[in-house]
This record gives sequence, C-alpha cells and structure tokens, in this order.
Amino acid sequence: MMDANEREVYRAAIHGDREAFEMIIRTHSRLLFAIAYGILQNREEAEDAVQDALVKAWKSRWRVRDPEKFPAWLCMIARHRARDVFRKRRPAPLPDEIQLATSVASDPSALDQQLHSALAELPELHRAAISLRYFEEMDYATIENRLGLTNGSLRGILGRALATMRKQLKPALASEQP
Amino acid sequence: MTTHDNIDEFLAADLHSELSDEERNALHAHLVECADCRKIHQETRIMNKVLEEKFENEKPDLAFEQRMLAHFRNNVPNRRGAIASFFANLMRLRATQLAGVAALLLALVQVGRIITGEHLPGTGGRWSSVPLEQSVVPMMNGRNEEADLAKSHGGQGKGITFRNRSLSAAGESTVAAPAPPAAATGGLAQPEVAPEFHEEKAAPGAMSVAKAPQQEKEAKENPVDTYRRDDSELATAGTNPALANRKMIRNASVDLEIISFDDAVQKITAFANEEKGYVATTSSEKQENGKLKGEIVVKVLPENLDRFLQEIRGLGELKNQTLGTEDITKNYFDTEARLKNARVMEQRLIDMLKKKSDDINDLLQVEKELGRVREEIEKMQGDLKFWDSQVQFATVTISLAEKDLEEAAKYLLKERATLALYTPEVEKVYNDLKAMASPKVQITNAQLDRDNTGRVSARVSMLIAPEESDGVIAKAKAMGRVENFQVQTERVAQGGEGMSENANTKRDKVELNISISRDEQEQAFQQTSLRIRTSAVDEKAKKLRELAEKQNGRVRNSSFSRDPDGREYANVTLRVPMKNYNALMRALDSLGKVEDVSESRQDRGGQVDEANAPADLSIQVYSQGNIVSSDTGLFATLRRTIGQSAAAVMWSLRMIGVAVAFLAPWSAAVVGLIWVVRRIRRR
Repeated sequence: MMDANEREVYRAAIHGDREAFEMIIRTHSRLLFAIAYGILQNREEAEDAVQDALVKAWKSRWRVRDPEKFPAWLCMIARHRARDVFRKRRPAPLPDEIQLATSVASDPSALDQQLHSALAELPELHRAAISLRYFEEMDYATIENRLGLTNGSLRGILGRALATMRKQLKPALASEQP
Repeated sequence: MTTHDNIDEFLAADLHSELSDEERNALHAHLVECADCRKIHQETRIMNKVLEEKFENEKPDLAFEQRMLAHFRNNVPNRRGAIASFFANLMRLRATQLAGVAALLLALVQVGRIITGEHLPGTGGRWSSVPLEQSVVPMMNGRNEEADLAKSHGGQGKGITFRNRSLSAAGESTVAAPAPPAAATGGLAQPEVAPEFHEEKAAPGAMSVAKAPQQEKEAKENPVDTYRRDDSELATAGTNPALANRKMIRNASVDLEIISFDDAVQKITAFANEEKGYVATTSSEKQENGKLKGEIVVKVLPENLDRFLQEIRGLGELKNQTLGTEDITKNYFDTEARLKNARVMEQRLIDMLKKKSDDINDLLQVEKELGRVREEIEKMQGDLKFWDSQVQFATVTISLAEKDLEEAAKYLLKERATLALYTPEVEKVYNDLKAMASPKVQITNAQLDRDNTGRVSARVSMLIAPEESDGVIAKAKAMGRVENFQVQTERVAQGGEGMSENANTKRDKVELNISISRDEQEQAFQQTSLRIRTSAVDEKAKKLRELAEKQNGRVRNSSFSRDPDGREYANVTLRVPMKNYNALMRALDSLGKVEDVSESRQDRGGQVDEANAPADLSIQVYSQGNIVSSDTGLFATLRRTIGQSAAAVMWSLRMIGVAVAFLAPWSAAVVGLIWVVRRIRRR
C-alpha cells in the first residue's frame, strides 16, 4: 500500500498542482526511462519518449480517478509512447543485426552488440521488466505493480527472459567465463 | 512443481534475492545434486553479470531529471491563473458534469414550457388582472345602462376607474369644468386598478364610471353615467349639498310575483301616496286560467325612491329589480345657456323688424330667421320642462304577475292505439275495416300495398269518437290474429303548463292505426333447429315432408347438398301451428337420431293466441361421410407446421424491425454524444 504522503502528492497532481507533478517527474522519470529504454534500446529515443509521455500525462491527468493507480498509469503512458516511437522507427532491421551478431560471435568486443540484439528479440514486456530490474534494481512486487502484472507472474517472466538470452548468448558467454 | 523443472525461474529469483529462505535452501540442495542445473546456474550468473554491466553503462546521467523537468516546463507553460485552472478542474469533476447535464435538462424543460405556452402559476403582474375582469362583470349585471357600460368595458377596463370616494371628485369636475372626471384618473395603469377595486368591494360606496381620455369627446356630449351600488347610499346622496343643484333622472323597474293582483295595486297606491307620489298608469291582463298580470308606473319623489322600493318588496316575491340614474346636469345647463342666447337673438330680430326697413327682401329674411329662432326656443323650453318633470319625480315601473300564472286551464286526454293483424286474406279484412266508417268512426287513411313478389299488406288509420272506441277496437281485433296491440295515452295541458288542481280533463278522439299483413310474414312464435342423422338422407327428407303435411305444416324452404367427403345434407324449413308442434317433434324420432335440438321462443306478452301462433323448424337431415378428412395426415400436418413456422419467423422479423426503428435514433444520438464528449475531453 501507498503511504499517505505519496498518495497526497498524486492526488494534488491529478487536480492540477504543478509542484506535485514536478515532484513526480523527479522521482519517477528514471523509472519511466527504464521502461522506455527497455522497449527502444536507445538512450536518446528513450529520453524523448519519456519527455513526451510526461507532457501527455500532465494534459490528461484528470482521467485518473484513483490516486493509487497514478504510477501504474504513468508507466502505461510511457510504454505506449515508447511503442509508438518503436513502430515508427524501423520496419525490420533486426535480421541484419542478428546475422551480424552471429557472424562476429567469437569477437569479445562484439558481446555488447550481441546482447543488444538478444534483448531486441525478447517480447516487449520482458524487455521492460529486465530494464526495470537492472536499471532501478526494483524488487519484484514493485515492478509487477508498475507494469500492471499479477502477483508472482514476474518471476516466470524474468526466468524465461534470462533463459532465452542465456541460450542465445551461450558462445559469447563461454569466452567471458572466468 | 519441482525446482529442477523451473530452474530458470529459481536461478533468476535467487540472483535477484527474491527467494524465500525455504526456496533458497531447496535450490541449493538441488544444485548440489544436479550437475545440469549447476551448469545453468553458472551461465545464468554470468548472464546476470553481463546485463548488470550493460545497464550500468546505459544508466541516465545525473542531469537526467533536470532535463526532464526543463522539457516539461518548456512544453507546458504555466499560463493559466488560479481561477482559470480551478474552473478547468471543476469542469472535469464528475459531480460538475452531472450537475451540468441536469441544468441542461432543466433548461430544455423550460424551453418546452415556453414553446407550449404552459405557465407557472403566480408569476407576473398580468395575472393579477384576470380576477378583476372576471368579477367586474357580475357586479355590473342588472344595471339598466348595461350596454353603455359594456361598450367602455370592452376596452379591457383601461379607462374605467373605480373609486370609493367619487362624490367630491365628480362634483368638482362637473361644477368647475365640463370635462369629465375621467381626465383626472383615466390614465391609470391597470395594476393600480386592482387594489382600488378591492377596496371598493369591501366598503360599498358611490362609484363613478368615467370614460377614457380617447372617449372624452363623446363624454362632453353626453352626461357622465353614474351608478349607485347601494340604495342606502343613494338616500344620503340625494341630500348631499354637493349634489343639490345637479339634475338627475332616476328610474327603477321591479318584477314582482304576488298572490292577488288587486290587493297589490291597492297597496302600491297607498305606498305612493305615503311617499308623496302618484300612480301614473295601470294596466292588467287576464290569462286563460283566470290569473292576472299587469304593469303599474308610479312616480315618487327621488329622495323617497329607495324607501318606496323597500316597501313594495314586501308585497311578494321579487323576481328582478333594476335601478338607474341618468345625470343630465351638463345637458340641462347647456340647454339653459343656449336658451338664454336664443332669447337675446329673438329680441334683436324683433328690434330689427321694428326699424321697418323698406326692403321687403330683408324683412322676409328677418321673419324667417325669427321663426327659426322661436322654434328653437320652444324646443329647448320643452326639453327643459320635460327634464324638470323627469328630475322632479322618479319613475318606478312595477311588473306584477300572480302566482301560478302559467298553470294549466284544462287537460285533454289523447289516446293512440296501434294494432297489427295477421290474416290469410288481407284484402277482405281491409274492405271490412273500411265498411265500418260512420260519422263516429272516420277513416283518415287507407292504403293497400302489393309488391311484385305478390306480398300484400294494408294500413288503415281511423279516428273514433271516445264513446265508440272500445267496441270498434274489439271488432277490429276479431278480424285476424293479433300480432301486437298498443295503446298510448297522453294528457295534454291547455292554456298553460304543469299541474293544476282545478283544471278538468276531457277525452279526445281515439286514433287507431291498423296494419294488416299476410300470416306468411308473421314472425315465428318459436324457432327450433335440430339435426337428424340417418344413412338415407334423400328418402328421409321426403318422409319428413309427409309428416309435416300431416301436422298441418308447410315446407317453406328445402335444399340438398353433398360434400367432397361424401356427406349428404338436406336442409328443410317448416312452419307448423304451435298446437301441432309437439306431435311433429314426436314423429321426427321415427326418422333417425335427433341431435342438437335448440329452441328459442319470443315472449310477446299475453296478447298472442298461442295455439295458432306459428312455430318454425329448421331441420338438417345428414349422413356421415368418410371417416378420415383430407385435412389430417402426415403431409397436411407438415404443410401446416411449415406454414406456421414461416409466419412465426416473419412475425419475429417484424418485431426486430420495430425494435431497430425504436432504438436506432436513440443509439445514434447517444453514440454521437459520447463521441463529442470524448473529443472535448481529449483537448
């Protein structure tokens, strides 16, 4: 449950208090960035997406009736915004990257590139979950709340995501092994 | 769910420190046992490390929040003031939206009210004028200058002013200037009239009805009409010094119902003498029933008029009373002044004559003018004298009528009889009836009709002297079978109406109308229908005819038919006298099984000769045909079922159409509304 102070800030923001909203920007923009980055895999684009999402959230803040749901709603806007950007960006550049990634598998410096494409292949929700976990080091319950997931489902998502990536990156990781 | 199967989940959760102690123990225990999982554990740890490193590098820099804030501030300028934002937020509250919708509905209702012209009670000043107009009319009834009043009342009462203290105002205006008091008060607006009027009602007093300014010209020519509301007020008005030199013509008319005309005339004469008046004219008229009615005109001094009226009211029942006053002051003094001028004129003309001019033409001219002036003088003198006499005495016209004036003088008893006869020989009876004519039995109308089908009927109307009537009617009844006989007696009052104890009753001639018809046309006294089931229809039908003839009956109608199922029907209609009816019914049993017997009898009172009255039988002789009808069977049932289900489908289709037509416009409106609201919200 949310504490009373936090709740009051959300309520004020919904009713048009700019100060409160700016406070929320300070506390939540990294979280939103994490989500957007998870989807877009690009810092600049993610930043733009977060900025757009914040403006949009301010304009349609009155749609939220329950202050408790404000953070989750904010995350949803960021996700939608990031997804829009993603769709506009590139029709299908992935196969090339994958090929590139597999062709230079033995090169340790290419590990980052491979990781990138492995992440890109994951479902969008999985990527968002991973970035929330690794950027913000959030506990599972909070991530579930922010992404609107049911209790306990994140464990499965992260487990599968890690397993998929592990299998894909096996050759590259072998060289990393100490 | 074992640890091994879900090793990925467990490993990830372990790395992220999301495992419970129990789970962690279980995992570590499993890793000790399972080499595969140990390998995966190793790889996952590396994977996790790689990811941590990658994201550590990608983390936004420290100024990230500031950039976000700056962008937000640039894109969302704080332009709105506190009040504007307050209203903007208020508009977004659901309660405000609901209130808005309610206000909109209310506004629509009000608009509807305005359009349909329905009004809320008790609003607006113009409603207060309605009771005024309604109550003015009954108050004014019974005044003898009603028509004049109605004329000025027709102008919505604008120019009429009711005042409870009109005496001084009226006096002032008539003495000082010829302009009517209307000039002072005529311009009053309507709402001011109402309170004054109510005051008037509460305290009865003199009341002057003045005309509107636009009617002033007219008012200058005519005297101002003055009405008195109460008789007692009049007495004081008569002695009022302000009115002392006014010329008023007062007259009254009274309708009275009295017991005895002569008594009433005597009493009225006595009252008139008491009040220093006199009886001017008397007239009376005797009615056919001996009652008197008449009219008396009495002249009394104006100041005694009211007392006199009170006195004559005691003579009988007051039916109607009107009281009127005509103020001729202005006309009177005008005429007087004109008379004075005319006299001066006359004198000057006489002087001119005395000069003895030589010119004959001038003389003639002066003579002519003198004649005209003198004529005028005489006319004016006559007017003044007439007015003087009118003003000196008030005229009371009393209409007297004795009680029960309309009572009947005598009664006439009128009898009218109608007789309907049935006979086999219409013409013979017709001729017999005509032969009964004598001075006391007068045939007024006789008519014999024969139409192209050979049906004969006749009508005879006669007037019979009262003493002969019973014998003649009995004779006529014996000529045939009586279908109907009615006598109607009416007592007609003559020379009046209603009941009268003294009037005598006389018997008038009896009017007798006889209609004669062939007994064929007579309606059956009893009607019976029955069915006889038999195997040989044709044969039994023949036998039925024989039976009927034996019982003195006649076959009126018969038919035979056969239907596709092989059933045969013979329909026979018979007429037998009632006395043979039972015998025939018994005989029918021999023909076959008698079914579905239904009898209906017309009750015509005790006048009918029951034994000879005709009874109608309609008999159906029939045989049973095929047992199975073509309407049953598999195909027929199938056909019917399909037909019915098609009808049901069509019906439901129609209902759906009705529902769509019913809902479509509303749903379109609702969808449109939602779309508009969404558009507004999105902005």
